[in-house]
Amino acid sequence: MRSADYVIKRVFFAIVTVFVAITLNFVLFRTLPGDAVDALRCRQCSPAFKELQRKELGLDKSQWEQYRLYVTGLATGDLGTSLRTQKSVRSELWDPIKNTMPMIALGTIFAIVLGTLTGVLAAWRRDTLVDKGGVWVSLGFYSMPTQWLGLLMVLFVAGAVGLPTSGIETPTLGILGDASTWDVWVDRLKHMILPALTLGLVLYGDYALIVRSAMLETLGEDYVLTARAKGLSNWSIVRKHGFRNALLPIVTLIALSLGFIIGGFITIEYVFSYPGIGLETVEAIDQRDWPIVQAIFLLLTFSVIFFNLLADLLYVKLDPRVVEA
Amino acid sequence: MSVPSLPPTAFDEQAAVADIAGIEPRGRMAFLRAPALRRPSMLFGLGVVVFFVLVAIFAPLLEPYDPRAKTGAVYEAPSSAHWLGTDDGGADMLSLVIAGSRVSLIVGFAAALVAMLIGGTIGLWSGFYGGKSDTILMRITDYVLVIPDIPLMIIIAALFGRSLTNIILIIGIIYWTSTARLIRAQTKSVRERAYVTRARALGARNQRLIGKHVLPQVMPLLIANTVLTVAIAIFAETYITFLGLGDPSLISWGRLIENAFTGDAVLNDAWWAIVPPGVCVTLVILACTMIGMAMEDALNPRLRVGHLSVRRFRLRPLKGALETE
Amino acid sequence: MTAPLLQVENLHVWFDLEGGGELHAVQGVSFDLAEGERVGLVGESGCGKTTAILAVMGLLPPSASIAGKVFLDGEDILAQGEETMSPHRWVDVAMVFQGAMNAFNPVKTVGEQIVEPMELHGTASGKQARQQAGELLERVGIPAARASSYPHQFSGGMRQRAAIAMALACTPKVLLADEPTTALDVMVQAQILQLLVGLAADFGLALILVTHDLPIVAQVCERAAVMYAGEIVELGPTDALYHDPRHPYTRLLFAATPDLYGEDAVVSIPGTPPRLDRELTGCPFAPRCDSSFAPCATVKPKLISTAADHTAACHLNDPALKAAS
Repeated sequence: MRSADYVIKRVFFAIVTVFVAITLNFVLFRTLPGDAVDALRCRQCSPAFKELQRKELGLDKSQWEQYRLYVTGLATGDLGTSLRTQKSVRSELWDPIKNTMPMIALGTIFAIVLGTLTGVLAAWRRDTLVDKGGVWVSLGFYSMPTQWLGLLMVLFVAGAVGLPTSGIETPTLGILGDASTWDVWVDRLKHMILPALTLGLVLYGDYALIVRSAMLETLGEDYVLTARAKGLSNWSIVRKHGFRNALLPIVTLIALSLGFIIGGFITIEYVFSYPGIGLETVEAIDQRDWPIVQAIFLLLTFSVIFFNLLADLLYVKLDPRVVEA
Repeated sequence: MSVPSLPPTAFDEQAAVADIAGIEPRGRMAFLRAPALRRPSMLFGLGVVVFFVLVAIFAPLLEPYDPRAKTGAVYEAPSSAHWLGTDDGGADMLSLVIAGSRVSLIVGFAAALVAMLIGGTIGLWSGFYGGKSDTILMRITDYVLVIPDIPLMIIIAALFGRSLTNIILIIGIIYWTSTARLIRAQTKSVRERAYVTRARALGARNQRLIGKHVLPQVMPLLIANTVLTVAIAIFAETYITFLGLGDPSLISWGRLIENAFTGDAVLNDAWWAIVPPGVCVTLVILACTMIGMAMEDALNPRLRVGHLSVRRFRLRPLKGALETE
Repeated sequence: MTAPLLQVENLHVWFDLEGGGELHAVQGVSFDLAEGERVGLVGESGCGKTTAILAVMGLLPPSASIAGKVFLDGEDILAQGEETMSPHRWVDVAMVFQGAMNAFNPVKTVGEQIVEPMELHGTASGKQARQQAGELLERVGIPAARASSYPHQFSGGMRQRAAIAMALACTPKVLLADEPTTALDVMVQAQILQLLVGLAADFGLALILVTHDLPIVAQVCERAAVMYAGEIVELGPTDALYHDPRHPYTRLLFAATPDLYGEDAVVSIPGTPPRLDRELTGCPFAPRCDSSFAPCATVKPKLISTAADHTAACHLNDPALKAAS
């Protein structure tokens, strides 16, 4: 099939999966024991209030009706209303998303760069100290529970380097005088570094192993022998034939893993009290604020679907053989 | 979403040759003899796992104090009386860590077993019978894969209670998917081998085919994958307990880390409450990963071929009888 | 008499075995190659012929060690290892690999891979190189426009031709062809062989053709060397080898070639080649030989001249020993 056909096929599949995800999301949160409102715990939640909630949320309507409302609501970008704060879910989630994205981006870029360097070096200098040491260190970080690494950071690194360990901004900033935009940015960045570093270190181990493995696989191929026979130096071979070919599995595996970073950043935000989506998830679940949880869940699922699709599309771009599959 | 993956291969040359000859390969024996299983990393991994399993089994005998009793001051530093100090309730850390090994390992192994049973069965069924049930099962797997694992676990744990069994089931139900895919691929490949076709032609019934011919060839891969799942399960347990969703009456390494966090160990500079349980978790996960990787290498030896070496090719001087021609 | 272009003197190759010990894969191979000459290297799979020519170009994996001398135009190119060898690769000695299918990098176009050695060694670059690549492809019977195709878009025969074109990129003096026609169907085989002979004549190439297939040696080569268990057991003009073989192995090899139209029963050589990880006493072929006698089990035969330019390593050619038996 031609590459355009393949792309269309993958996109179509992604869209179908999105619909299935939306439906599953709906079903999941409706099958939770008890009415969504029953379990609500908050200060102003008297029984009368809860009755009002029920009517507002349309929980007295039939399941099909609710489903229809839900899907049409989504189409217009309406994610519902938070049970705790009575504000729209969208406005509630906006800040957390704004906080989480840069932190994750920072951590992931760090992990990809360090992981790729380590992996390529380890494969090139195979079986030497650089390789063995690199593998052990990578495996070591990969095996650490994220929250534990976070705690270690707080315990040993924060004090030594003078970085803050919770929240996203220093409360005292701007009290003694006007804080410039630059100051605010720097302050935020400082708060992001430790969480991002923790995320980065845990991810880097995984990526280093993926890159090394892909490189070794590639370097064992026959065309590497041809390249060597032509007289190319080891480093040229690693660059032109090894890495370029290893990009296929590397890119797809990394793209796939991006969809699953979620596990990591929830506990990281919890440790650092970082007001992002992860912390919001935990708090919302704890307080049974289901509309929020449902929306976050949907967002995370979309993220996984998106990155899977990205992986598929990148694969087509990188491997001329896929087209003929 | 399907990602192009490496095809499963015969796990040693014997199997491939046997396939051509149409006879049943002596799979298991050859596998156990693979040099990859004698690597130092594999032995280290086995040693660590065995060590902790023994600690878990003999925990009551090894604990210097009752882990739940207050036997010292709050957050006492390590001393000769308390080798690893005490926690926020004055209980001996060493005893706690030893006691914690039981639940952590039980959850790890049990959950991995659940995942293996579910994933293995689905994979075998899908791979062997193919056709419609295969398509359906794989679609379901694809959709389950898209659901973010940690948030789902948090939600279910928050709702359905915090018992040990629940935690085990939750983890097992979420992590069967990669096993299913792997086993399906391997089953498909084994199914096409000559000796299976021959047995079928001779009239063997499906159960017999699966039990006697397919399963033994799939088993080593299943075990390798299960070992890796143990690592994931132990991780998952630490996440769930860290967020406060574990069984509060059970002592596990994850629980100890959570306790240190909520008990402000950082503020008290009580590194001894934070470091030891995390080290244990990291070691066990590292060990399982190494075992799993060594087993996978034993099954798939082609990674050992490499055309590149930093060292130049080696020249030897001719000596003795070889010198004259 | 002019000095030979390529002179291999007492070449030995050992491979480290993973459990310890060594495999003596090439045991004292010596032969000459004059300018424009075509020599065949014949033997069963595993006899060391591929290893020998890989050693000539220094292309063995890190687990190998080499002893002996390889003179190219009088210069010992093995002497200083990789440094002396590299500049000669592809420019003086080029290779067409067994299984050209995999000799190409799947993610680069065929044209790019032909241009690569040109630009590396500085024989041509840019537009001129691309033009020359196109001309080479035409020479081997592929339209120049196909240079922008990927290897998987070629048929097996076309890929083999492209591999030959690639080997000629830097107009080498010696071409090593390792089983260039195996895995191709008979019609295509004949074409490739014709191509090789034609190109050798046009380019003034010296050719070493490695194969287990006798008829093609007879077709292409003027002289041939027969290898068994890592050694050359007979060396001489192809005609002489066929009509007057002086080693039982050579005779049996020719007899074992099935004659499609003949009425004779298919002859095969009983037994298997010896293991090369241990020292052997006596003649390595003795266990399978149909004419062995007393000295064969204990004394290793040396290559003796039996006629002008014809040597064989068999006690049967030694009148003194024969008389004594």
